[in-house]
Amino acid sequence: MEEEKEMEITRGPQFQSRLLASETYTIPRLFWRRVNEWSDDTAMREKEFGLWKNITWRIYGEKAKYTGLGLIDLGLEKGDRVAIISENNPEWLYSDMGTMAAGGVTVGIYPTDSASQVKYVLNHSGAKFYIAEDEEQLDKVLAVRDRIPHLKKIIIMDMEGLRHFVDPMVISFDELLALGKVFDAKHSEIFQERIHQSQPQDLAILIYTSGTTGPPKGAMISHGNVLNAVEMQDAINPGYADDEVLSFLPLCHIAQRMVSVFTPLLTGCKINFVEELDTVPENMREVSPTIFFAVPRIWEKFYSSLILTMKEATKLEKLAYKWATGIGQKCSDYSLNGSEPPFYLRGLLKLANWTVLRNLKKIIGLNKIRYCLSGAAPISPGLLKFYHGLGVDIREVYGQTENSGPTSIHYSNDVRFGTVGKPLPGAEIRIAEDGEILLKGPHVFMGYYSDPEKTRETIVDGWLRTGDVGRIDQEGRLIITDRKKDIIITAGGKNITPSEIENQLKFSPYINDAVVIGDGRKYLTALIMIDDENVMKYAQDNRIPFTTYASLTKAKAVIQLIQKEVDKVNKEFARVETVKKFRLIDIQLTTDDEEITPTMKLKRKFINEKFRQVIDEMYAQAI
Amino acid sequence: MTLLKVRNIETYYGPILAVKGVSFDVQDGAIVTMLGANGAGKTTILKTISGVMDPEKGTIDFMGRRIEGMPPASIVRLGISQVPEGREVFYDLTVQENLMMGAYIRNDRRGVQDDLRLVYDYFPILEKRSNQYSGDMSGGEQQMIVIARALMARPKLMLLDEPSLGLSPLLVKEIYEIIVRINQEQKTTILLVEQNAPMALSVAGHGFVLELGRIVMDDTCEALRENEDVKEFYLGIKEESVRGTRRWKRKKKWR
Repeated sequence: MEEEKEMEITRGPQFQSRLLASETYTIPRLFWRRVNEWSDDTAMREKEFGLWKNITWRIYGEKAKYTGLGLIDLGLEKGDRVAIISENNPEWLYSDMGTMAAGGVTVGIYPTDSASQVKYVLNHSGAKFYIAEDEEQLDKVLAVRDRIPHLKKIIIMDMEGLRHFVDPMVISFDELLALGKVFDAKHSEIFQERIHQSQPQDLAILIYTSGTTGPPKGAMISHGNVLNAVEMQDAINPGYADDEVLSFLPLCHIAQRMVSVFTPLLTGCKINFVEELDTVPENMREVSPTIFFAVPRIWEKFYSSLILTMKEATKLEKLAYKWATGIGQKCSDYSLNGSEPPFYLRGLLKLANWTVLRNLKKIIGLNKIRYCLSGAAPISPGLLKFYHGLGVDIREVYGQTENSGPTSIHYSNDVRFGTVGKPLPGAEIRIAEDGEILLKGPHVFMGYYSDPEKTRETIVDGWLRTGDVGRIDQEGRLIITDRKKDIIITAGGKNITPSEIENQLKFSPYINDAVVIGDGRKYLTALIMIDDENVMKYAQDNRIPFTTYASLTKAKAVIQLIQKEVDKVNKEFARVETVKKFRLIDIQLTTDDEEITPTMKLKRKFINEKFRQVIDEMYAQAI
Repeated sequence: MTLLKVRNIETYYGPILAVKGVSFDVQDGAIVTMLGANGAGKTTILKTISGVMDPEKGTIDFMGRRIEGMPPASIVRLGISQVPEGREVFYDLTVQENLMMGAYIRNDRRGVQDDLRLVYDYFPILEKRSNQYSGDMSGGEQQMIVIARALMARPKLMLLDEPSLGLSPLLVKEIYEIIVRINQEQKTTILLVEQNAPMALSVAGHGFVLELGRIVMDDTCEALRENEDVKEFYLGIKEESVRGTRRWKRKKKWR
């Protein structure tokens, strides 16, 4: 057999920027152009008292302008940092655009961060302003503000419960807008001046990465970085003005910011804000987005909810489900191989779609979808295949904060699950000798804020070191193996990539997330977080008594259930790669906990520390 | 000894699955309390135990006998009496007649007379008013009537549904003192549903917290009183913020 030589470098097609030619190559310039061009079109929607309310580009522009001018009036100078801590809402975007237009730099803070984390980001970024959603976020900064010397003003979006609160440092968002309006009447030229001072190479935003090791780092992303990344992505997956997107993942994360703040500046797609995280499924169904980006955890959740729905179904419905998804999977096999399904199968697919698949998509709100993206964490190929079989055009995107979001993606005629596709136009990917993935392109960031040492370690000879290891297949698609530092080397010296095993585990409807352990140990073990809904349902159906979540994870029958799932996964791996023992995490983790990222991934390091005793127990006695 | 064993009960309240697989034990002679917001499923659980509602799934074991789905009257005969929420007295009957209704299932005359005496000892005010119509009584007195009426059946297990609802703090205290005495002196086991969490946690030994039809906490009342979530959401004790006031609630974790 001829040995297939793998490639060491892969490049995306030539990249031609449309924006660069048009002199609008900064975020504020592009933003203002859109406000003028699209003034009466809907920019975003927000639900108020149960009704979706449109916000036009004119309003978006006006509010952003007054926000920016208000900040200038309060002393914002070019390059000053403005922190925003809020759930996703229109004010977030007004603040973001207003800050940048005024020449400032936006720093998003996770609304779930604790007061001490808030203090760290404010101090590290040297923020002058703190724009907070409400009372809760206000309390965080009040608790630590005596240790944040450079903080000038605190601005509160929602003053509910604060009517009688007086503090010289605190004003409401409405007051800020009013200041901006007065300022505009006096100095109407300043706003345009500041917009035109912005340059592509200027720092636009700081993104603090959740940092699984050490304190968070502030990635500096320029206007040029953002717009390049937006255009590169749009060249492969073009968006249109009638597209609908849902804004629900934290906006301080690069992915959601790209999808639901920056991309709309290019395409004019409409941004829909969910009411809160708990209402995502309902809001999904109401909005029926045409483009949808989500992290694997969300895709896993939707999958689980469909499985759960089917368990409640009648026998006939179950049969229909099995039949229809079977047809869907067969057709998806053909199209993934680049061929057309045979005529009879296409006919059956129509029927299957009309009777079943269509309704399944409706349940999760994907009935109008054009394409979906999964990213920000590895996902099981089987899960992507499931959605593909439903007729959902789902693609995996790979990238990181340090390259302003996306770097490689499945191209429309070249979707190959298990790979993360090919480099975007203008991007280059190279595999270093030790297997690390390196990349280059106009979307690679400026470096870490006030940390030249980390920057030097990360960008070497113009190549961004991703910290991921992987390879390139013979067609030039990238395959990610794992995080470089997560690779497990067992006591026997075998290299194991835990994420492959973890992804297979997470594919089980009963398992939400898992952390595989075994570095320097004799065998592999895992800590598993169960899917509470599905496991509770299982317990009820099988009369397994339990009271609380903790008691559920201790129930023998539940442990047996998970054992079966683990056994299933073990069969797919070599002997050294099998999980010999596991324990269930007996507390329900929420995004407030440090063991989990705001995008809902288990953090290996924290899990390893917090459950050290449980882990040691698994290695205490020989098998 | 375990008096009552509830296992995986699921009960519909109309079209809504109000109790989603609840399991718990009640030990003989204990006071056990069940906390939860409106609609958490507390009353539905009591009604499922007393047979007023039938569970869709699950089993209830009382002194070694399966009682789920049995008619309420038979369950009363086995020794479970429910004191329903809202002081449901027979308005047109006198206090004494009301109490005698509680002994309807019994035919040991002597015993009934003794128990009437006993009940009057616990609630002297009821003896004074024994010939008045219960409809004319105050809320607190009506609450006493329903508890006393339940006692007249000589239950092993008494299910109390919000005895403090709508009563003045003083009356609440009085009624609870009597409940504790009944538990201690008559060895009556009590399963108590209460919105008044401070009161319930101070008299009971063990407690559950119910949310959306599921148990989220199961511990001794001592531990529950110290739990952060119970403190904030049921006892109204909040950590003070820098501003001195705080309206927002943190996320419940239940651990």
